[in-house]
Amino acid sequence: MKNIFVIFKREYLTRVKNKTFILMTFLAPLLMVGFYAATIYIATETGDDNRSKTVYLTDYNPTLMLSNNPPANYVFLPAPSNEDSAIADVKSGVVFGWLKVEDRDVRVIDSATYYTAETPSLVEMEGLKSWIEGKANKHQFAKLGLRESQIDSAQSSCDIVTKEVSNSGDVQESSSALKSGIGFALAFMIYIFIFVYGSMVMRSAMEEKTNRIVEVIVSSVKPFDLMMGKILGVAAVGLTQFVAWIVLAVGLVFGISALFLNSGNGMSTQEAVQKGIEARTGMATVGMDGGAVAGESGSGVARDLAAEFTEPLSNLPYFEIIAVFLLFFVGGYLLYSSFFAAIGSAVNQESDVQQFMMPVTLPLVFGFVIAQTVALKAPHGAMAKLFSMIPLTSPIVMVVRAPFGVPFGELALSFGLLVLMFVLMVWLSSRIYRIGILSYGKKPTWKDLWKWLR
Amino acid sequence: MSTVIEAINVCKTFGEQRVSKNISLAVREGSIYGLLGPNGAGKTTLIRMLSTITQPDSGEIRFRGDDLKDVHAHQMGYMPEERGLYKKMTVAEQLLFFAELRGLSNRDAKAAVKHWLQRLDMMDWARKKVEEISKGMAQKVQFVSCVLHNPKLLILDEPFSGFDPVNADLIKDLILELKRGGTSVIFSTHRMDNVESLCDHLAIIHKGEKVLDGSVSEIRRNHFTGMYDVGYHEEVVWDLGEAAPLSMEKNSDGKVVYRFQTSEVFTPEHLLSAAMLKGKLVHYTEHIPSIHEIFVDTVSKGGAPIAL
Repeated sequence: MKNIFVIFKREYLTRVKNKTFILMTFLAPLLMVGFYAATIYIATETGDDNRSKTVYLTDYNPTLMLSNNPPANYVFLPAPSNEDSAIADVKSGVVFGWLKVEDRDVRVIDSATYYTAETPSLVEMEGLKSWIEGKANKHQFAKLGLRESQIDSAQSSCDIVTKEVSNSGDVQESSSALKSGIGFALAFMIYIFIFVYGSMVMRSAMEEKTNRIVEVIVSSVKPFDLMMGKILGVAAVGLTQFVAWIVLAVGLVFGISALFLNSGNGMSTQEAVQKGIEARTGMATVGMDGGAVAGESGSGVARDLAAEFTEPLSNLPYFEIIAVFLLFFVGGYLLYSSFFAAIGSAVNQESDVQQFMMPVTLPLVFGFVIAQTVALKAPHGAMAKLFSMIPLTSPIVMVVRAPFGVPFGELALSFGLLVLMFVLMVWLSSRIYRIGILSYGKKPTWKDLWKWLR
Repeated sequence: MSTVIEAINVCKTFGEQRVSKNISLAVREGSIYGLLGPNGAGKTTLIRMLSTITQPDSGEIRFRGDDLKDVHAHQMGYMPEERGLYKKMTVAEQLLFFAELRGLSNRDAKAAVKHWLQRLDMMDWARKKVEEISKGMAQKVQFVSCVLHNPKLLILDEPFSGFDPVNADLIKDLILELKRGGTSVIFSTHRMDNVESLCDHLAIIHKGEKVLDGSVSEIRRNHFTGMYDVGYHEEVVWDLGEAAPLSMEKNSDGKVVYRFQTSEVFTPEHLLSAAMLKGKLVHYTEHIPSIHEIFVDTVSKGGAPIAL
């Protein structure tokens, strides 16, 4: 036990005292914030195709009046009667494209063609489609005798507020979007951290082996103790970093909000966020009538959005989420890092690592894919439940489900299985480790590893 | 005198290969024990078993009378043949780590590190990272790292390989100093340079078997085969028929030395009286083979066990 501690202490201190670690601990949150700010900036300012486009229009159904009110950024010109010269103009860049709508029946428009020199983006095509559909709809309504103002006033909108009834009978407002977001963010963190700290363990084992330090160490420490000390030491480094980040993040949030609220500039950031959300939905600029200006109602929507999330945010089961996150992070890390330790002990150089990494990364990536798809769509579905039980994927899938409320029994069972699997893996890994660290020379194979296991 | 470590019929097999075959040996308290053998003889395997890194498949190892257990590692120091240090740690941190691994409390470890750094005049280097110091300096750190805890038994695998001559001498002196302080030492080597001057006792390992074992003087005496050297200041002519010299050698001081094989027919007395007639005899001794000769002889004979 004392030996594990001596190893633990070395692993922990050499890493925490490292300048890069200290730097990264302070820089990473800033980088992260910077990264998101840049993404939002790019999405809002440069991501959209804001070029003004001159496009030929051929319209066989004048009732649609397509040439009236073109979508934003589009200028329609009547197409020349000669089709070849129209195509030649597209080719030579005189016009951006040629939109040809040949349908006479407006109920099904399926003979529209868009000629362009460059492949149009999905967003552009969706925009044009919904623009034509809008025109057609209006035309249909008009045929039924409705005026445009009547059509507009007849548009209804719908919003559903979700309220959850807990076991104790309390009814609380909740938000599926918020829960999905938080669950996904946590799963992503676990995924990244298992990789980052797992490979730290692997490199540490490899360093001791290639520097030939390990033989001196195992003459006074059992290989199992060495491996455990290493795994736990690196885990403590990870937790230290977590705590530092939480403290920094809280500090930053308070600092920034205090700064902005006092100077009254708070809205500009909210606006940027809102713009970003709209940009990502892709429909902001090519609206139905080509007229909806995104920024116009931006700050108002942002305020609504904030209001929409305030209550659900305060109603989240924080304690449960944090507890699940920490337990499954530690459990998942311990499970995978013992794999990583075994790999590090087996190989002689970094380039030999690849062949053994596949079976380790595969379940992790698979878990992440499951988390992204199944668990977010149906957090209480059979598939989500299944993969939140299997120890190799449970650390990631369970945290996605956590904000949606997972029954205690399921949590306990899943965690129990995770711990069991972890104990088994550590035992297996230590058997590989024990022999791997003293085996030099040729590149190990799967067969060798199997032999060491027995 | 009691033994510090004792191996009894120790066997170890890797796959099909029997790396240690029924090896027995005993190291007396306060002595220096040399394990000789060519590369691949099984020295490192034996040493790893003695230093608790691996366990024998069969046979027993006893440490000061008890069955060898992991806890005994605290009373041992071990320097493997392939050795290294943490490049990113400072000399002092590194030594402290190894001392604590060998069971010293933090306070004792610090005192030991200070003592040894002072002893080797390395205080100025204590805060340097290993990657910043010279190779020779790192070798000293390496050696110190296994003696910090004042071990009862020091096990050194090829201690002189990879060390520069100055450090090799330093380490030789340190080994002798530790011995005077009561530490027993086992070291393996495939080079004979230091064996005779260091070892009290030695064993030759060949192809996984112990083929020779004894005190240095004992072994040499036992390998005396009746050869004698006679020397003159100048070359002489021999006409002894069947008793012609085996070899002739000119020493750097100008002496000419002839080696003869004596026997019951041609006794040392015969040789001496014949030699005196040839000229001014300045040298007449038994030729006792060096450990080097015995080693080469034993190994080239294919390692058939030689009874003492």
